[in-house]
Amino acid sequence: MAFSVVLQKAFLLALLSLRAYQNEVFDEPIQLVPEVQNVSTSSKPQQVNLQWTVPNLAHHQELKMMLQIEISRIKTSNVIQVVNYTTTVKWNQVMHWNWKPDIPLECVKYFLRIRGMVDDDKFLLQSSWSNWSSWQEAHIPVSLEPNTVLVFPEDPLVEEGSNITICSVYGRNQHNVSCYLQEKPIPGEQLDSHVSIFNLNNVVFFRDTGTNFFCNSIDTKLEDGIVLFVSKVLEEPKNFSCETQDFKTLNCIWEPGVDTALAWKQQPPQNYTLFESFSGRRKLCNKSSCDWQITDDSQEIYNFTLIAKNYLRTRSVSVSFHLTHRVYLKAPHNVSLEIINTTKAHMTWKVHSRGNDYTLLCQIELLCEKEVIHEHNVSVHMSGDYLFNDLDPDTEYKASVRCADATHFWKWSNWAEKTFSTPEAAPSEALDVWRIVRSKNGSRIVTLFWKPLSKSRANGKILFYNIVAENQDKPAKSKHCSIPAPASDTQLTLDQSSYKLHITANNSVGMSPETILVLSRESGNQEVVEKRINGTKDGFLISWEPRSRDVISYIVDWCAHSQNQLCDLQWKNLGPNTTSTIISSDAFKPGVRYNFRIFEIPVQGPVYLVEKQTGYTQELAPLESPEVLTSNLTSHSFTLSWQGYASQFQAGFIQGYRVYLKSKEMHCHSGWDKVLLSDNSVCCNYDIKDPKQKIFTVENLRPESDYEFSVRSYTSVGENQNATFMMVTTPDEHSHMLLKTMLPMSLCVLLIMVVCYWKSQWVKETCYPDIPNPSKSSILSPIKYMQNPHLTIMNVKDCIPDVLEVINKAEGTKTLYTGAGKLHAENVTKLPPVPTEKDSCGPVPCIFFENFTYDQLAFDSDSHGHVPGPLKDILCQLGPLTPPKNLLNVLGNSNMKSLTGSPTEETSLIYVSQLASPTCGDKDSLTTNLPRPVHCSEYKMQMAVPPSLASPALSKNSDLSSMILLGKGEP
Amino acid sequence: MQAQFPQKTLLSLVLSLLLLSAALAMPGCSSSYQMLLSQLQRLANDTEDPRSLAEPYMHHQSLNTTTLRKSCTEHPAAFPSEDALRALSKLDFLHTIDTMLGQVQHRVEALKQQFVRTQNFPQLENAEYKIRGIRNNVYCMSWLLRRSQKTLEPTQTSSRALLSPAPTSDTFQAKLDSCRFLWGYHSFMGSVGRVFSEWGDSLSRSRRHSPRRALHKRAHGFRHSRSSQRPMPRS
Repeated sequence: MAFSVVLQKAFLLALLSLRAYQNEVFDEPIQLVPEVQNVSTSSKPQQVNLQWTVPNLAHHQELKMMLQIEISRIKTSNVIQVVNYTTTVKWNQVMHWNWKPDIPLECVKYFLRIRGMVDDDKFLLQSSWSNWSSWQEAHIPVSLEPNTVLVFPEDPLVEEGSNITICSVYGRNQHNVSCYLQEKPIPGEQLDSHVSIFNLNNVVFFRDTGTNFFCNSIDTKLEDGIVLFVSKVLEEPKNFSCETQDFKTLNCIWEPGVDTALAWKQQPPQNYTLFESFSGRRKLCNKSSCDWQITDDSQEIYNFTLIAKNYLRTRSVSVSFHLTHRVYLKAPHNVSLEIINTTKAHMTWKVHSRGNDYTLLCQIELLCEKEVIHEHNVSVHMSGDYLFNDLDPDTEYKASVRCADATHFWKWSNWAEKTFSTPEAAPSEALDVWRIVRSKNGSRIVTLFWKPLSKSRANGKILFYNIVAENQDKPAKSKHCSIPAPASDTQLTLDQSSYKLHITANNSVGMSPETILVLSRESGNQEVVEKRINGTKDGFLISWEPRSRDVISYIVDWCAHSQNQLCDLQWKNLGPNTTSTIISSDAFKPGVRYNFRIFEIPVQGPVYLVEKQTGYTQELAPLESPEVLTSNLTSHSFTLSWQGYASQFQAGFIQGYRVYLKSKEMHCHSGWDKVLLSDNSVCCNYDIKDPKQKIFTVENLRPESDYEFSVRSYTSVGENQNATFMMVTTPDEHSHMLLKTMLPMSLCVLLIMVVCYWKSQWVKETCYPDIPNPSKSSILSPIKYMQNPHLTIMNVKDCIPDVLEVINKAEGTKTLYTGAGKLHAENVTKLPPVPTEKDSCGPVPCIFFENFTYDQLAFDSDSHGHVPGPLKDILCQLGPLTPPKNLLNVLGNSNMKSLTGSPTEETSLIYVSQLASPTCGDKDSLTTNLPRPVHCSEYKMQMAVPPSLASPALSKNSDLSSMILLGKGEP
Repeated sequence: MQAQFPQKTLLSLVLSLLLLSAALAMPGCSSSYQMLLSQLQRLANDTEDPRSLAEPYMHHQSLNTTTLRKSCTEHPAAFPSEDALRALSKLDFLHTIDTMLGQVQHRVEALKQQFVRTQNFPQLENAEYKIRGIRNNVYCMSWLLRRSQKTLEPTQTSSRALLSPAPTSDTFQAKLDSCRFLWGYHSFMGSVGRVFSEWGDSLSRSRRHSPRRALHKRAHGFRHSRSSQRPMPRS
């Protein structure tokens, strides 16, 4: 080796000596001038490739050289960059050097030249820079029309956060060229008359389809552009790890990070390569995992390098491990469970192990209703087993097992699971039972309540509840009933004997321990004073004084819904030494009163009610206002009452009532306070501090005044806000007195008037009988008789003959005149019964009433000369009043005239009058003179009869001794 | 043997009839002219809306700026004008639609390659389905028209590729060209829909005209899009 080095140096010395000799210049240093072979450019990617050689090298010579490249832009004198680098040159070898221009090659010209200097230890002589090569131009020419605008570089690909220079070239006719990155105008820098450059710094990723950069000419509306493809920065893979399950394959996984792929095929998604350094193998992987085949069983240590790569960047991450330390076992298999009894089960399983030499750690979990109730670790080799104890009967469990390498723990295997259920067992706990006892018709209605057993105590599905009522006095009268589940209460009707109640819950396997309740003859429900307690949101603290020492337990019961009909009885069973407890429930609500009863269950004797307590978890202001009734309204007072207000069902303990009174004068009397209401109105307030007082009289009021009142209950929290005001108006002050005095007086007067009216006829006849005064009568006109001026003559023509009564008395006739042609009602109503044929009276004086019968024919035949028979007869019988014939004529004419004007004038009917009973005339005389019913009294129904028939009737009755002539207008 | 002869004859007759009917009936095509026409009108109207394809494309390619949108929409790709379509016979009209949509289909396929993931642009898939549907219906309508006319007349369509896109490595111009193409496609489908709406209710009123005139009109009917003649660098 040393020989060859010496030989090489000698050769070089010889070569250089030879060159020196040839040049005949011995004092100049040796220069190896690089010779540029070619300068090429590419548009995409923007790149200049410089190819050069060192022509003067000896055959097969290798020489380390330092090179310097000078780069100018636009013109050679404008040097923009000098690059130094070292390389080993060989004889007859073309060297390459690439350079990326900052401004696209289409927009500007670059010039490059190169020089070199030997920088090799083998070269003993001093070396210096060679001469520069000639300038080489690097440029991509474009064909530019006068109206063209062009933008470069084409589709550049850059990484997010980097800088890029874009240029635009435009023809000579283009002057107003504007350029935009998407919509944002980008100011340019003019390089020359037709080239502008745009520096974009710290570019950001916009979209995988790229960011558009374009320029347009305002003059010609032409545009050109490029798409700037900004790639996201390739990230290093994270959480790279490898593991094996079967020692045949290594599965490597990692988190790849962001996808750097770009559209338009500018950049595919980054690729991932796995390289193992010991074996030197390499594998192209997918995005986030790779399966590596273990080909050499003897290789235990692996050194992996994961390489991520895209067009712009390469990232790598390495991991080195021992194969046995990366064992991720497969889940155990052949898991089985054997149910031993209601509380025990035995589990067995197998594992994927490399043999008995390897110890595995297995984790066992027992889950019940998705909760882990048991966890245990065991060491196994090829298989394992475990016994589960203390299981609950009739319960479903899930047993799970997973394993891992015990020596070099890497990670647990997946779980292997098995579900199983334990069989049922008899209920293990006695029922919690309570009762309500009430008497009805001499019997006792016992309502039993019990709490369903918890699942862990029921040990299976409860099918029914057995209740045996054992009569202590008469064993033969014991009762038994079976209540199917899921009932939680039942009702028994028992007599007044002592009973022992046995209650059990039953499932398919057996019955629970029995619960015994004793019902003595004594009720045990003593009257105790109710005590008020204050609850909190956490519940009620109930405490009591124990009554005796021989106590089995205490029971506190209450209704969950105190305001409803459905009580939903709740109770709490407490030990014999307990004297207080906290009753808490989610069902407790603010503003609801809860009543608690504390019972003592003695060893002997009946259940004893120790205390009653009542309270609220939180008192509220009353929600209901009293319904107020007003009464006793006077001009100075009125009474309010609200007896129906149920204070025990209010949202707090009612402490009293406030009476509010509004009036115009707003003067509050003593005991009343002036208060300002929420609506800013002022009123008087009276506070009734006794909650039991539900009546109140408002006094000292003014008569004839309007008052508004309101009654509001209040608790310790406040008063009811829903109450409304009601209006009441006091009456006049005198109206009361008037009412008291005037009303009886009016009644008396009215009574007298009624009596007087009723007896007026009698009074009149008794006190002031009608005494006709012929001289005052208009009928009897004072016609001065020529011979005797004192003689008064009755003028019949002025008389309207209404009624004529002829009383057939021995003493003479008596005319009954009722005035205006009316027959007094009394005369009719007080008539004696109509005599029948049987008791017809004898030949006694009779009284006949008969309507005047109008005979049309009579008027037609002789209205002037003819006088109807009856009238004629009557007039004939008038006796002392009989007028002279001429007067009769006058009467007949006038009377007939008046009759012709009657409503019946035009009819051809003749009305036959109804015959009055024989009570007319002087009643007294009748009663005195007619001791027995009159035989000849008749009553004729009024009827319409044809004229032909009327005349005979009339003629038939013409011999009647008495008749009433009905006045004009009366039918 | 004598009994078999009529059976064979009958069997042959039935088979012949079946074959004849199968030949006459176009499988998968509706024989209802009205139904086909209404479907074609509906599909044409659906595809006329740029929101179904061109607008989403512009959004994805970041062309929805004022300047670039204008450049795209004001210079749509050259499709046959409405007048030119109206001048064609029905069969030629259908043939032209089929040809143009074939090109659109190819272009849409090419566009799909321009995306990293086509899931990002589902409108392309939808457009493909619709184009296939229209072409199927056009095919069925052509068959119906031919069957009704009894005689098979040669259709006057150009065999040349009417809209062969100029291959370009310039992504910016390719984006704009694709956008213009899609915009032209929507406009073309609008014209197609309007021409369909002028078709009569029955096959009997089939419009006929001189094929020469139609060809002449079509030659003048193509609108020329703005050609993006980007100078290729002389390397």
